[in-house]
Amino acid sequence: MENINLFVLLANWLRQWLEGVGASPDVIEVVMDVFGTVGALVFILLNALILVLLERKAAAFFQQRYGPNRWGPKGVFQTIFDSLKLLSKEDIIPKAVDKWVFKIAAYLIFIPAILVFAVIPFGEGMIISDLNIGIFYFVAVASTATLAFLMAGWGSNNKYSLIGGMRSVAQMVSYEIPLVFSLVGVVMLTGSMKMSAIVAAQTKVWFILPQFLAFLVYFIAGHAELNRGPFDMPEGEQEIVAGPYTEYSGMRWALFFLAEYANLVAVCSIATTMFLGGWNPIPGLGFLPIPTYVWFVLKVYFMIMLFMWTRWTFPRVRIDHLMHFGWKVLIPVSLVNILVTGIGIKIYQWMGW
Amino acid sequence: MNIDYSLLTIEMLTAGLALGLLVLSLVVPGDQRKGFGYLTAAGLAIIFAISFAFNGVNKEIIGGMYLIDDFGNFFKQLALVAGVLVALASIPYVEKLESYRGEYYSLLVFATLGMVVMVGAGDLISLYLGLELMTITFFVLTAFKRGDSKSAEAGIKYVLLGAMSSAILLYGLSMLYGVAKTTVISELVSTIQAGQISPALILGLMFLVGGFGFKISAVPFHMWSPDVYEGAPTPVTSYLAVGSKAAAFAAFVRIFMGGMPQIQEIWIALFAGLSALSMIIGNLIAIPQTNIKRMLAFSGVAQAGYILTGMVAGTNAGIKGLAFYLMIYVFATIGAFTVAIGFSNATGSDEIKDMAGLSQRNPLMAAVMLVCLLSMAGIPPLAGFAGKLFLFSAIVAQGKLWLALVGLIMSMVSVYYYLSVAKSMYMGEAADPSPIEIPGSLKLVLIVSMVVTIFLGIYPAPLTGLAEAAASVFALK
Amino acid sequence: MSDAVFTVAFYVFSAVTVLAALGVVLKKNLVHSALLLILAFVGVAGIYVLLQADFIAAVQILVYAGAVAILVAFGVMLTKRGDIRESNLANRQKWPALFVVAGVFAVIYALLGQTNWGPLAAAGPEDSVGILATLMLTDFVVPFETAAILLTVAMLGAIVIAKEVKNSK
Repeated sequence: MENINLFVLLANWLRQWLEGVGASPDVIEVVMDVFGTVGALVFILLNALILVLLERKAAAFFQQRYGPNRWGPKGVFQTIFDSLKLLSKEDIIPKAVDKWVFKIAAYLIFIPAILVFAVIPFGEGMIISDLNIGIFYFVAVASTATLAFLMAGWGSNNKYSLIGGMRSVAQMVSYEIPLVFSLVGVVMLTGSMKMSAIVAAQTKVWFILPQFLAFLVYFIAGHAELNRGPFDMPEGEQEIVAGPYTEYSGMRWALFFLAEYANLVAVCSIATTMFLGGWNPIPGLGFLPIPTYVWFVLKVYFMIMLFMWTRWTFPRVRIDHLMHFGWKVLIPVSLVNILVTGIGIKIYQWMGW
Repeated sequence: MNIDYSLLTIEMLTAGLALGLLVLSLVVPGDQRKGFGYLTAAGLAIIFAISFAFNGVNKEIIGGMYLIDDFGNFFKQLALVAGVLVALASIPYVEKLESYRGEYYSLLVFATLGMVVMVGAGDLISLYLGLELMTITFFVLTAFKRGDSKSAEAGIKYVLLGAMSSAILLYGLSMLYGVAKTTVISELVSTIQAGQISPALILGLMFLVGGFGFKISAVPFHMWSPDVYEGAPTPVTSYLAVGSKAAAFAAFVRIFMGGMPQIQEIWIALFAGLSALSMIIGNLIAIPQTNIKRMLAFSGVAQAGYILTGMVAGTNAGIKGLAFYLMIYVFATIGAFTVAIGFSNATGSDEIKDMAGLSQRNPLMAAVMLVCLLSMAGIPPLAGFAGKLFLFSAIVAQGKLWLALVGLIMSMVSVYYYLSVAKSMYMGEAADPSPIEIPGSLKLVLIVSMVVTIFLGIYPAPLTGLAEAAASVFALK
Repeated sequence: MSDAVFTVAFYVFSAVTVLAALGVVLKKNLVHSALLLILAFVGVAGIYVLLQADFIAAVQILVYAGAVAILVAFGVMLTKRGDIRESNLANRQKWPALFVVAGVFAVIYALLGQTNWGPLAAAGPEDSVGILATLMLTDFVVPFETAAILLTVAMLGAIVIAKEVKNSK
């Protein structure tokens, strides 16, 4: 493997050291997994820190104001101080809540957000677990994120929270379908659900070109999955205070926030892997001495900027319009995409290319 | 792999008809949906006619995964002809519906498709999926009378108990798979050895019998049938009574006679017990019933007992009797239920006492009811007599005289409650002697059921030929 | 994976599944029952992973934990009226039910325990997804298409039953 990068070297070194100490294969696997998970966790936390600031700056830019600018140069330390404030707040659990459900929901929302990073190829050879069912694993794990919203909404024992939770379930379950269908086209082209195979198939042409429709569907459905504007009805503050988050405060509230940004990174990472060539360099720029993981992060941040752009540009839609759009537009479109892709593959084979 | 899809013509046409009706009901504006019933009946009749081209074709698809043979074809024809009659009988009911008229017929054809797949299935997975297609469609059809609490009650009861029975059936199938390591029925013969029967296999068989016993409503799995039969729309009830039962019997024959004839002595004992219980309890509880649909439900339980004797025989003669009886049961049951449809359509009542004096109010309905009930009781020269003769002689030939005796005695018991309906219709005084008018489609169904029931009683040879061909698929004694 | 890890993992997942399932039955709050049902599904998915059925495990999570159970919880939350804390109570049939269940369990346990299940299947294929996909469209094409129609019917039925009755007066 040429182009071996820093992180892979580090992992190999660790593995060799463990073998040298005489650890059993089981132990080595567990230790490697722990390190991989910790690496992903650090990545998530670091990104969350950056993204909170980035989002506020982006929002400020779109709304023609300054945004945070007091702490540190241009306000870069704002998030750090914010987190310190949240950490030091009293942990308030309202009297009427369903205590177990209320408490667990805040932790539960974080689990799928971390788990999906197990299959994301950050760079060449940099994937915690290159499963056979890679992308399907992402879909399956991401689908359980709905549960935390439902639990938070219900457990808060507050009508606004409940409505918010219900909205988020309706929206996420509905938009999961076009999201998955949009990924099917890529899997059909690759013939594999393995992340490494999908990235390897895009060395020449990124799948955004043959699967542009799927990319659009994914992009739109992604907003709904993330509960981000213009599809942020679950927390629409003009109507239902803050939806499922209404009763949460302090650290628990911060966890929700963190998970939201972790999910944003995950969804953008998947978009990068599936449609933007993963860690492959931009065609023609492969000669530059840029490590693969930098390419990957650059593309992910490009996607994140797109998501922020739409969030701060479009007004919130109404829930029934949202459902109508999901079921009557996105799903048929994504089905048509699958059909056309299938026909295209057959023609391709028939022509013998 | 090349699959000869032309062998699946019937399945594909049925699916096409169902989906076509679904699309059509979306396209045609609500107030113009008139001819759907006739369209459905015509479509199913055409498929029924085509199915005769497959008589004598005995082929396997995909290594025994799906079977095109005379046995399957016989039951496909049964499902299709029952579908035609039920579609016609549904017309007055559907006209009263406010919405979903096209969907009703579409679901009816989907149920037919479920039966067709189920009786043609050569492996357990196809069989189970066919069964579920049929059952889930019936869940919906049972609760189709929207805003009617009895229909809703019947629907929820059927869903809960049906799901339970499906779970038991699946558990049984999984054990069968665990023991045999295959889901293809024809391979069961070689993988299950007669000498070494494992305990799990016995457990699996018990669960299988329980699961399918629910569908054929054999005692002690019959509790659901009176309530569901009563609450469901009557055309649906008639299809549920004949189609669901026939398809489950076909599955019984396929799995037990086709897959496990080598361990006959185990399952024959099970079936003998079920059969005797069903005949006794079904007939005895039918006596005090006052609602015609509930009475027919318990009579259906008893009929399941009679038909099960064909399984108890465990021979080709038994299968022949079973197939023959099921076919004539279709006509007798649909005839009787159609009278109930016409009657409740005109008067709004399902009670037997309200049928008093029906012979003056509508002689045709009374006559059909009489013929159908007497056929079910097994009075010569009606078709039911021939059917019972085949079944009972098959078990007597196997030395199970006691079961035949139970059947005979219980048939006599059944004459009592069948005739009490007849007595009420012919001897009773009608409270309101005004004549009852019934629509033409119902008349057609009534006449067909009556003519077939009488004709096959006098001259059963055409049907016995088909039933014999169906039975000859299985290499038994 | 070594035997020791396998055994530990198996018992952990089994315990999670069984305890969660018991919770579904015994919890007095219907919403808690529905949520524990999801946990039970996840436990079953874990056992699938141990059996090297990774695709089935993902399907289990996606379909059961991610959609079915969540809709169950959703339905419970939408329809339940009155005091939710006392919504899933046992009735007088509790003890007879326990008796019957224990009996059935004893019979099944005894019979299955005595069974010689024969040699275990060889380790699962490396690329189970590809094989499954091929099988579904060749050997199992009839059940596959039947399942497709079944789902259509289920959707149609749900719409027919659930859509509100119009008052056309």
